Amino acid sequence: MTHQPPTISLQGLSKRYGDHVAVDDLTIEVPPGVVAGFVGPNGAGKTTTMAMLLGLVTPTTGTGSVLGHPLEDPGAYLQRVGALIEGPAFYPRLTGAENLAVVATAGGHDHGQIGELLELVGLGARGEDRFRGYSMGMKQRLGIAAALLGDPDLLILDEPTNGLDPAGVHEMRGLIGRLADGRRTVFVSSHVLAELEQVCNWLVMIDHGTLVYEGPAADLLASSASAIVAVPEHDADLPRLERLLNAAGHDSEVAGGELVVTVNGSEPRGLAATINRTANAEGIVLVELGPVKTTLEDRYLAMVNGGDR
Amino acid sequence: MTRSFRAEMLKLRRRSVLIGAAAGAAAFALITSVAVLLSAEPATTGGPPGRGGPTLESLASSGGAVEAFSTGMSFLGILMLVLFIANFGGEFSQGTFRTLLMRQPHRMGLLAGKMAALLVFAGAVLAVAELLSIGASLALAPGQDIATSSWLTLDGAGEAASAYGSALLGVGAWATFGATLAVLLRSVPLALGIGIAWSGPIEHITMDVWSSAVQWFPGLLLESWAVGGTDDVSTGHAALLLSLYVVVAATVASLSFRRRDLAG
Repeated sequence: MTHQPPTISLQGLSKRYGDHVAVDDLTIEVPPGVVAGFVGPNGAGKTTTMAMLLGLVTPTTGTGSVLGHPLEDPGAYLQRVGALIEGPAFYPRLTGAENLAVVATAGGHDHGQIGELLELVGLGARGEDRFRGYSMGMKQRLGIAAALLGDPDLLILDEPTNGLDPAGVHEMRGLIGRLADGRRTVFVSSHVLAELEQVCNWLVMIDHGTLVYEGPAADLLASSASAIVAVPEHDADLPRLERLLNAAGHDSEVAGGELVVTVNGSEPRGLAATINRTANAEGIVLVELGPVKTTLEDRYLAMVNGGDR
Repeated sequence: MTRSFRAEMLKLRRRSVLIGAAAGAAAFALITSVAVLLSAEPATTGGPPGRGGPTLESLASSGGAVEAFSTGMSFLGILMLVLFIANFGGEFSQGTFRTLLMRQPHRMGLLAGKMAALLVFAGAVLAVAELLSIGASLALAPGQDIATSSWLTLDGAGEAASAYGSALLGVGAWATFGATLAVLLRSVPLALGIGIAWSGPIEHITMDVWSSAVQWFPGLLLESWAVGGTDDVSTGHAALLLSLYVVVAATVASLSFRRRDLAG
């Protein structure tokens, strides 16, 4: 996978607006065929980076390529790119189908796929309704349909779940999962990290316009078991077990009816075994013992706050 | 540019737009014909009230059939300005320029194709309005004892073609100024405010204290152009200066649209 030329490659890309640095010396590579989550808080520079990929914003410095073509020549690659950026933008008086027809015409794409795309995004029955009457979820889905015109090799989706209710978020996540068929590369941004954790197999994390992490999502999460949780049969044993482990040089504390032992560089399996042996030696029966599942959000915050880059 | 032209045409060819445009053209033809023909008086009485409107004699000439159309067009400049500001400015406020540029990244082509489509559509509506106006004038003329025999002659057709060309050029100039304001300011309310204030009160108030303004200001030049020239401004002078303004405006708008960011 990584031996193929990257779908997106940026070298030292920066964008400044006066004194404000929106993107700062960003160097990333997104391999083909992955669902790449572009992660960062609001204002981190995600939208600006995506806009530069799409030729909407001119970089202040730096270079890059998309699908093998230089950023300076978006006309060479945008025919193979579909995008939704800064929310779905369409003509309010036109129907969903008419809006897609306008976008397809502008892009030189076949109109024959419009009905199929409306069906794919769940708007088959509402395609003849005016865009201004659509709910936020429907607008986002029409934006996805527009991005899919021409069956692009690269999909760039900027916060596609913005403004959606939980059901809409779930639906959108499923849709993104279906769109990533292994052939197409999806580059999707979100500031709600939990949304991306479930659909992405590649991550690009930025903060204040600079890169925090880039690589397989699994590697990031696997390297990050941060604590082991131990729950004794009796609550009264919690302080005793805490004292025992702390005396043995571990960093543990009682929280919410369980004992949380920080891994601190130890091998998580080995630490769990140590906890189990310590408890057993003192006659404490554990009813639960295992690693705290680290979320993408935990890892992101740890990297940003702890300088763990 | 071709794709952009066709995309814009898709929007303009919708039934609701066509019906609205046809209704507007019909209303324009009827109102201007009624107003011009019913208010016309013999030249011996000094013509109708106001400045130099059509007389019964001028209406009976070969250009009489399009007097109502030409007179009406002289009042439509600001409307054209407003429509083009709303159209181009709306593309920014709705974010649709962004959507289109992600599909057609050649900015100059996008802008030119859109403008061309709008002008072609405006040209078609003008043609319909002129034909309806001629029809309404033909219907009203007998009631005012206006002879129409010279209307349906070769000279009459030439006058009609000339009136159409003049109207189209005027619309093109207003359209360019409107689109330029919208592209530069990217805000419909701001562009409308500045455009209307400049071409309305500011130019006319300035003209009151500086009479030569009529020879230099674009709005005033367009007014002179619409009435076929005045004592102070010949059509040649108006055409020359307006052409220059249009070229400058189009260049500025194109450079701005090409260079400025559209997101982020």
